[in-house]
Amino acid sequence: MQERLDALLSAARAELSVATDDAALEQWRVTHLGRRSEVTGLLRSVGSLPREERRAAGQAANAARRELEAAFETRQSELRRSADGAQVDVTMPGYPVRLGSLHPLTRTLREIRRVLAPLGFRAVSGPEVEWDRYNFELLNIPADHPARDMWDTFHVDDKARPGELLLRTHTSPVQARVMEQIQPPVRVIVPGKVYRYEDRSAKNEAEFMQVEGLAIDEHITMADLRGTLTHFVRMMFGPDRELRIRASYFPFTEPSAEADMSCHACGGKGCSVCGGTGWIEILGSGMVHPKVLADVGYDPDVYQGFAFGMGVERIAMLKYGVTDIRSFYRNDLRFLRQLR
Amino acid sequence: MRVPFEWLRELTGIEASVDDVATRLTNAGFEVGAIHRAGEHWDRVVVGEVARIDPHPNADRLNLPTVNTGSEEIQVVCGAWNFEVGDRIAFAPAGATLWDPYADEPVLKELKPTRIRGVVSRGMLCSTKELGISDDHEGILVLDADAPLGRPLAEALGGEVLEFELKANRPDALSVLGIAREAAALYGTKVRSPIPEARPNKDGSSESVVLGIEDAALCARYSAALVRDVQVGESPAWMRDRLEQAGVRPISTIVDATNYVMLELGQPLHAFNWDTVRGGFIGVRTAQPGERLVTLDGQDRELTPETLCIVDAEGPVALAGVMGGLDTEVTEKTSTVLLESATFDPISIRRTAHRLNLRSEASRRFEKGLPPELTVLALRRCVQVIEEIGAGRGEFLTADAYPAPSDPAPVSLAFDRIERLMGVAYDRSEVRQTLSALEFGLDEDGDELCVTPPFWRRDVTAPADVVEEVARLVGYERIPDTLPTGQVMDLAPGEIDERDDEVRDVMAGMGFAECVTYALTSEARMARLVPPDLLDVPPEAPLGDADAWAAMRETAMNDAGRTLTDRLLPLDREPLRLRNPLSTEENALRLTGLGTMLETLRANRRHADRDLLLFDYQPTFLARDGDLPEEPNFLTAVIGERVSASRWNETGTVELPFVRGVVDELLSRSGVPVAEASHDGLQHPTFAAGAAAAVTSKGRLLAAYGEVDAEVAAAFDLDERTWALLVDMPAVREASAGAPLFSAWSEYPSALRDLAIVVDAEVTQAEVQDSIQRAGRPLLQSARLFDEYRGEQIPAGKRSLAYALSYAAPDRTLTDKQADRAHNRVVRALQHRLGAELRG
Ligand SMILES: [Zn+2]
Repeated sequence: MQERLDALLSAARAELSVATDDAALEQWRVTHLGRRSEVTGLLRSVGSLPREERRAAGQAANAARRELEAAFETRQSELRRSADGAQVDVTMPGYPVRLGSLHPLTRTLREIRRVLAPLGFRAVSGPEVEWDRYNFELLNIPADHPARDMWDTFHVDDKARPGELLLRTHTSPVQARVMEQIQPPVRVIVPGKVYRYEDRSAKNEAEFMQVEGLAIDEHITMADLRGTLTHFVRMMFGPDRELRIRASYFPFTEPSAEADMSCHACGGKGCSVCGGTGWIEILGSGMVHPKVLADVGYDPDVYQGFAFGMGVERIAMLKYGVTDIRSFYRNDLRFLRQLR
Repeated sequence: MRVPFEWLRELTGIEASVDDVATRLTNAGFEVGAIHRAGEHWDRVVVGEVARIDPHPNADRLNLPTVNTGSEEIQVVCGAWNFEVGDRIAFAPAGATLWDPYADEPVLKELKPTRIRGVVSRGMLCSTKELGISDDHEGILVLDADAPLGRPLAEALGGEVLEFELKANRPDALSVLGIAREAAALYGTKVRSPIPEARPNKDGSSESVVLGIEDAALCARYSAALVRDVQVGESPAWMRDRLEQAGVRPISTIVDATNYVMLELGQPLHAFNWDTVRGGFIGVRTAQPGERLVTLDGQDRELTPETLCIVDAEGPVALAGVMGGLDTEVTEKTSTVLLESATFDPISIRRTAHRLNLRSEASRRFEKGLPPELTVLALRRCVQVIEEIGAGRGEFLTADAYPAPSDPAPVSLAFDRIERLMGVAYDRSEVRQTLSALEFGLDEDGDELCVTPPFWRRDVTAPADVVEEVARLVGYERIPDTLPTGQVMDLAPGEIDERDDEVRDVMAGMGFAECVTYALTSEARMARLVPPDLLDVPPEAPLGDADAWAAMRETAMNDAGRTLTDRLLPLDREPLRLRNPLSTEENALRLTGLGTMLETLRANRRHADRDLLLFDYQPTFLARDGDLPEEPNFLTAVIGERVSASRWNETGTVELPFVRGVVDELLSRSGVPVAEASHDGLQHPTFAAGAAAAVTSKGRLLAAYGEVDAEVAAAFDLDERTWALLVDMPAVREASAGAPLFSAWSEYPSALRDLAIVVDAEVTQAEVQDSIQRAGRPLLQSARLFDEYRGEQIPAGKRSLAYALSYAAPDRTLTDKQADRAHNRVVRALQHRLGAELRG
């Protein structure tokens, strides 16, 4: 009996393996598992066997039947799977997922904050409409000083205090606002919108974002400024960036420095991004002028520190390869979705 | 400022290349913005001679010069007239490359043969602007008569010019000598000063000029020199070339000599025709009421009392430091000239030049503050130059008024201060050597250095200034990279609220694209947020007058609308206006970002037909009397009509509940749970009637949303349904319960029951929900609306609402019977309180 069952199983398996459609499968099922199948016949015939053989024969026949059933199901699901596979076009696009986007300036500002936060810089904000006193005077730029020409200013019509309200031309007034309120140590960055009375063009905006940095304590040096800026450009633009600082002039810092980084596009060999020089001007900085410290009530013989300021659009333009600064304010969805 | 390199070399003896000099000066703080190489783009431009000039047959303003290039004769069409037959000129044949004089930014352009008014022009006579030599585009460049015919122009004119972008603190650097001093200190050479030694005047002549300074605060020093036997004519070529390379147009001997010395030494000089100065007197004073002066540009000006003038015995003859007078102008007939070399008050000059819009090379130098010591040196040099070019014979100094002489104050500096500030050590000998190279006087006292700046360095007044001199001359490469050490702050005043980041993240998560828009806008753009028939907007009141708004508040708004107008959409307020707007399109600071956002939606609608979900989260500006304005961050979102649904072929249409879902999510994520915000119908002209709501919590308006009124949308060129959402985030923050608190839920299975009722159409969902919540206590966990129906299957004037209710007890599994009892209480309450009927 066991021999017959083995033969039957191997024949049935062979037949099953060549059944490739539903009809052949059904034919096989009728032949091997149907009422007239051999297994069914064998099971029926168990009753006619001698009593001592019945138990073993019955178990063997039932096991064979279960095996055939399992083989059938396996084959059936194999065929189903391959049939389904043919019906689904996996190249169909996914259903629309409506996820929005953060503006590239928001993303860039967050990155700047993330890079500087571990150095202890906390992000603070201040008013965009500002008094002349904070925007200029407390930064060592008195009225009628020729340095005022460095910032073309929008003035706000104000009958109560004429000539004093303006749109801040830089985020630097927040330096004075912070220092007036707390004693050193000070370590802040100030992101925010600034305004210049200047025609809009691909290179210049009348409204743009700046980030100001300020660190004041007893022993903060120009070397600390340089180290902070080097760390910053490497975190933002890659570990191979070199920093170059050179002498400059801002009324609220002394000494003053402009910082260039080696071009991230060509590595310093010279290309169209860096105008062939290998260097890209990235920000202005310096040691806070003793007069600025004294004017907010700090003792300039005790405290010193650095400040820097950069244009956020400029950083974003370099990072994303944007060539027209106005793109950031047009808010074209194609632009916003590309740079999200 | 433009400095011809060859001039700089002459004063310094530097042998290094122009690129090296440019780099080192840039690193030391004298930024070279560009190196102009005259001739760089002149590959085909040659020296030509005007052989003939014919009239243009069709245009009186044009002529037809024929140019001899030595090998051929070429006829061109020309619009300039400042040349004659026989003049040598810069000639560009077709195919040459020139600067486009009409482009805003420098662009090179290839010259092609062109037909101008019917005559073909095969080349061009060049102006200095087209050649990139200067910005002067008036007339073509006439060369010296001995310029080599047919030779490349570069050979006749060549040379490099450094263009400096100079800083406001260094008036001394607005001169070739000033730059030369820096360069010499950097390269360790010695400056070859062009200033001659003083020489005595002939006896008695100094008495012929009387000077009178009225106020030494406005004119620290006034020096004058007489030049006789003046010959006014064309200056020699070497001088004209230098002036042109430096960007100054040559005019005639005397004027050219004063300009030359101004460029060289930084001291502006003025030449008066002494024969026309009355009374042998020159004074400096502010104008008296009613005084007038005809200036060199021919304008008859009434002088305001603050204007500083130069006067003779009878009245004003010049605006000090700004512009000369026509009557005393040096002309070809002038025989004696008085050269003025003075130190005027920078602020007075700056104000006058700004007020009259007459800023010049001279006024720019005065504004920055010149040292009084320079006046007499510049006179000597100018007289020497005039004599050298044969334009007259003069005295080095005829008269000098210097009422209150002052020297630069010494600055004392502790040596260790340098390292303390820079974070790197400098040896004492290096410090001394550097400062000496810059001609600072030094006096050492132990660890202190007493530094006396040279007269031209009045910008150096404090120890930090001296430190900068040492550091920049040694070079910033010396400075190492270190990181700040020490304590961090405990408190940062005005710290940015991180919840602002979360607002942006939540909005982006809900499908909105963040926009960053301009804060500058126009009142007209804001006025478009109200239908035009409700608001008369005359040009003098672009946002409408107070009466119109008062009427609108009465008739077109409900209480919610009035509250919205009070703050979140304050269109009836005076915006902050600019005194000097760039244009009328951006003359005010925004009261709301909605107008700009509707424009942004419209702009994007041109290329996208669905999923236009945009938000802006930037300050708006609400004026406060006598104080800075309030700058609240209001969130403004706009939504276009169609949004993608969950399959490709499906688009959903935005309806009010879509916007409400956004509001609920944003508010609950900001600490105001849905249950604590109440939504009421909003009537406001910006929004469509019956399709807008205001959200309040504890009596305070937090948000408003709804469909934009069709007329308003049309004013923004939107012809589809458009939705808007305004959120007063500062108010939301105040209403916020803060960080969410955990509350436990029942661990036992819930019993679910559906409920479908029919109520009068006037009964609101909020009323039904409220009744369910009250009657369901304490077992009801939630009641979720899953259907609303109005239509044929129920009576007119009725609506059907269906809810899925969930009941559970905190401490046991509810039996069916207990759940039924609770549910029946809810049903009875609805029947009793709202007249609801069970449906189906
Ligand atoms: Zn590059």
